[in-house]
Amino acid sequence: MKSRLIVGTAVLALLSGGASAQDLKFPVGEGAFNWDSYKAFDEAFNLEGQSITMFGPWRGEDQVLVESMLAYFTAASGVTVNYSSSENYEQQIVIDTQAGSPPDIAILPQPGLIADLASKGFITPLGADTETWLRENYAAGESWVGLGTYAGADGAAALYAFPYKIDVKSLVWYVPENFEDAGYEVPQTMEELKALTDKIVADGGTPWCIGLGSGGATGWPATDWVEDMMLRTQSPETYDKWVKHEIGFNDPAVVGAIDEFGYFAKNDAYVAGGAAAVASTDFRDSPKGLFSSPPQCYMHRQASFIPSFFPEGTELGTDADFFYFPAYEGKDLGKPVLGAGTLAFITKDSEASRAFIEWLKTPIAHEVWMAQSGFLTPLTSANAELYGNAALKKQGEILTSATTFRFDGSDLMPGAVGAGTFWTGMVDYTSGKTAQEVADTIDSSWPK
Amino acid sequence: MDNIAGTKSSLTWAVHISVVVLVAMWVLPTLGLFVSSFRTGDQIVGSGWWQSLTTQEQQLSPIRIEGDETETNGAFVIEGNLFGNARTTISSWGTSSREPEAYEPGQTAELGDGVTVTVQADGGYVLSSPVTTAGERLPRIFASATTPPEFTTDNYKTVLFSPLAGQTIFQAFMNTATVAIPATIIPILIAAFAAYALAWMEFPGRALLVAAIVGLLVVPLQLALIPLLQFHNWLGIGKGYLGIWMAHTGFGLPLAIYLLRNYMVGLPRDIIENAKVDGATDFQIFTKIILPLSFPALASFAIFQFLWTWNDLLVALVFLGTGNDQQVLTGNLVNLMGSRGGDWEILSASAFVSIAVPLLVFFALQRFLVRGLLAGSVK
Amino acid sequence: MNPAIQALLTILIGVGGCLFYFYGSNLVLDKVLFPPRGPNAGRNINRANQIRPWLFLLPAIIALGLYLAYPVFATAWLSLNRQTGASSTFVGFANYSRMMSEDKFWESMTNNMLWLIVVPAASTAFGLLAAQLTDRIKWGNIAKSLIFMPMAISFVGASVIWKLIYDTKPADQAQIGALNAIWMNFDGGIGSVLLLKVLPALLLLIIIGGLGWLAWSMLRPILRGSEDRGGLFLMLLRLIVVAVSAWLIFTLARMLAGVFVADLPYGQPQTWLSLPFWNNFFLMAVLVWIQTGFAMVILSAALRGVPEDTIEAAIIDGANPFQIFFKIKVPQIMGTIVVVWTTITIVVLKVFDIVLAMTNGQWETQVLANYMYDKLFRANDWGVGSASAMVIMLLVTPILVWNVYNARKEMR
Repeated sequence: MKSRLIVGTAVLALLSGGASAQDLKFPVGEGAFNWDSYKAFDEAFNLEGQSITMFGPWRGEDQVLVESMLAYFTAASGVTVNYSSSENYEQQIVIDTQAGSPPDIAILPQPGLIADLASKGFITPLGADTETWLRENYAAGESWVGLGTYAGADGAAALYAFPYKIDVKSLVWYVPENFEDAGYEVPQTMEELKALTDKIVADGGTPWCIGLGSGGATGWPATDWVEDMMLRTQSPETYDKWVKHEIGFNDPAVVGAIDEFGYFAKNDAYVAGGAAAVASTDFRDSPKGLFSSPPQCYMHRQASFIPSFFPEGTELGTDADFFYFPAYEGKDLGKPVLGAGTLAFITKDSEASRAFIEWLKTPIAHEVWMAQSGFLTPLTSANAELYGNAALKKQGEILTSATTFRFDGSDLMPGAVGAGTFWTGMVDYTSGKTAQEVADTIDSSWPK
Repeated sequence: MDNIAGTKSSLTWAVHISVVVLVAMWVLPTLGLFVSSFRTGDQIVGSGWWQSLTTQEQQLSPIRIEGDETETNGAFVIEGNLFGNARTTISSWGTSSREPEAYEPGQTAELGDGVTVTVQADGGYVLSSPVTTAGERLPRIFASATTPPEFTTDNYKTVLFSPLAGQTIFQAFMNTATVAIPATIIPILIAAFAAYALAWMEFPGRALLVAAIVGLLVVPLQLALIPLLQFHNWLGIGKGYLGIWMAHTGFGLPLAIYLLRNYMVGLPRDIIENAKVDGATDFQIFTKIILPLSFPALASFAIFQFLWTWNDLLVALVFLGTGNDQQVLTGNLVNLMGSRGGDWEILSASAFVSIAVPLLVFFALQRFLVRGLLAGSVK
Repeated sequence: MNPAIQALLTILIGVGGCLFYFYGSNLVLDKVLFPPRGPNAGRNINRANQIRPWLFLLPAIIALGLYLAYPVFATAWLSLNRQTGASSTFVGFANYSRMMSEDKFWESMTNNMLWLIVVPAASTAFGLLAAQLTDRIKWGNIAKSLIFMPMAISFVGASVIWKLIYDTKPADQAQIGALNAIWMNFDGGIGSVLLLKVLPALLLLIIIGGLGWLAWSMLRPILRGSEDRGGLFLMLLRLIVVAVSAWLIFTLARMLAGVFVADLPYGQPQTWLSLPFWNNFFLMAVLVWIQTGFAMVILSAALRGVPEDTIEAAIIDGANPFQIFFKIKVPQIMGTIVVVWTTITIVVLKVFDIVLAMTNGQWETQVLANYMYDKLFRANDWGVGSASAMVIMLLVTPILVWNVYNARKEMR
């Protein structure tokens, strides 16, 4: 048995061969890319033979995309990058840094978790130069600096993480032809959205597909809803206070926002499968209701990544499209946009790690990804013409026309809340508890 | 033993039926997944797997017309078939999500501006337009159709041969084998010696040691992760194969020693004492007598340990890492489930890939397993 | 270097190294340190024999100490400290009191109690049933391997399998989850009442009866002040069993009432994993499904070991097959049943994969092991995480004590 297995593995080794080195996706020097920045980087860095390990949140198709970007970094600097990821990357990074075997570079979407790692002294500060660079080169640079600035082990605040790649969350997905068939218009205000919701019900349809299921992270899609509702019912300042726990989680403002979410999610007529199905439907399964026939639902609120889970062959723009999750006309809060993003940070300082952060400052590091799919950047020097598809361009517009941009609050809160009780609380809420009960429980779990 | 005449046959029947029910309850869950893994995504969500052998009538997902345009007599025509296979039969169809069953097969639908579309029962369609439709959005066809039973191996092809990024499943398979085989053999060897000492050698503190080992059986693995990874880093081996072999050895030892000791205690005392009288040393007794006699117990533990290391995810994530040349099969599949989580066809096929080897090993070696378990726990 | 070759080398080096160590150290002991020759031959043989067990045990003790014992102590220490930033301060039992004040913790404790009782009981009962039945038919071995098969399936695979069974679709669509497909066939008619009310009620009554009998037989010797009381420890054990059964009887009686009062939502597809209280049982079903095969194999061997003459004697006395099974066979294999029960209890205490993958402790299904994982790696709260780990260890103590007691009895 044993020997047979070993022979088996040897044969498999031969069959699979080595993974071939990734080719450069776009030939250097062609197209509207900022190749000068690439060449300048190429000349400035010669670290042949060095290598770094990188741990990030992107798997599957996203991993193909990030690796296409890394190929340029390798070609220019000579540094080999071993990128890896895993389903439970948040836990993995905690274990690895605690135990003292971190990757060189880590990229995470949770500033709250990064702040925690920084306070334990596991992260190297990026320095004042990078801070200045961000302030000058990112649109609304100050807020991005704030996002990556945390208190270190010594208690002093410094820039620890470099924001790279952002997602827009305030999007509602729909099938244009289903809207046309029924004669529905894309709503421009929250009032219109609520009216449309009622109209769909009156026409015998179901307006929304909402799914909170996500295995161990079940509940998180609801946190986006609540954050979006916070921004649409309260001022950005109140939002910031909420995230920093300067007002309680059970503040009437927050309870109100939760109930705004409940307006849609806790109404059996509004949600496919009824309110009871909300918490147990997988978020990856949930958008499929848009495409069934007859449609199980007409609208689905989710971040810009969700097309990865649309049925195979779905063409964005034709088979599916999105509109901005509108704000109340009557509240005078402008056009707030909720977003999220990933931040890169150095967990093991080296020349090559530093070079990678420098690489992220080149427009080409952004353009290679944005020319493909699923990538938005606040970098002003990146060529916006390069956005790989109309959807990205439209999201870019939503981003630039926003009067308020706020980062996903649950990712900024301490892990115990933002990746714990907030999730579970929302599940309890959709399963029957009241907003006040849920908010009280979450508030009491806030680390003191 | 059934001495009461007359009830015997009915009782035997009752036994047969009860066993059939029990076996069905235990096999059907796995069978359901197995059958599902050979169905297309549409079929899986359209009907239960137990209906896979019957002809299904269902609403298909909308299919968009596509094809090359030809100009005949001033009309621009696109012809084609909605389905890849010819056996699907349409019972009604429509072009609007509001009325997906508006037309009979063979009828022609007016789409306005002179555009017409005709769909036949076999899925063949003809779209005709007075002006060119190039560059325009073509209509969708909603169809209710009956589909005869159909099975596909495409799911397995997707899982096995089209990795989305980096790692192929073969690579993951090989990594898993690399983890599992040494991590099975080494603890057995160490445990066998220890079990012999605990079973047949006299020394103070023996009872205490046995008790301690039972106590260690229940240490929750999760709390050992960070201290041990810290220890590995301190040693300088960090994350890697050496580390995971050591970790699996440590975690597997209590059960190994417990099972083997229980077995060895049960071996006949006179054989060992005779050998001692003949002047054999403990080492000789162990290698020449005890090891061959303990073969069933060794084999059964080997199977247990192999299944456990093969199916493990947590230990591999922590001690080995997730690079392409490290990620194990379970990790690869969990990633796949994360990125393709909503697709039952991918989930079921990948779950089956992950359990295929353990099942094979299990069915090939189960007689040893049973023999060893029996000896280890029944006195 | 290719990992496959590396693995091959490791096997060679590892196995070779182990053999070399065991052989070499024995050789050194016998030939160099204490040679059985010369003036002190006799004393040397004795000394060598005193040292030899430790040579045999050394690698195992090192590995066990490092990989299991050391983390236990490290955790005990961590549970008394609180980490803030990079430093940690000794806080005594503050983490424990913080943990005790959390609702989730008590929810985990209650659920764990349910798990600890239901899973071993159900697995053992099904295992015993399967063992007894399959031993009497020709195709019994095939049946046995099929029932045993889930043991080989990883938790990742098992949770996919069971998620498909518990899947829910809206009422107007075809159900693809087997449980909902069955459920949708019930319409509230006479068949539904028989199957969903009377049958469960009967089962519950039987279980309550059994538990009552157990509690009574545990209590009787104490009430009588009987002479065979095995000391304080045994007495305590009996009292614990009585308390637990009383609690269970109470819970079951409530369920019994619930079965009749409940207005079952016929025709509505159910999201099984979010039904409060009952979802625990749907999760337990997965573990019972996995562990029954184990119980069956061992119990089947024990049943075969029951001496024929006792059975024949019973037949001559006119006992029917049920009497033979419960009065003759079961008492004789009680020892093995306890071993099976213990082993499965240990598995239950450690199980977290099923809960993590299927509900992650939501809808009131949290269990201790997952609670700990949550605290350690999601909330980054090492103090409380370690404290809950210590609680798990504490729950095991009765089993540990029982095993020490047994091992010492055996040594005598």
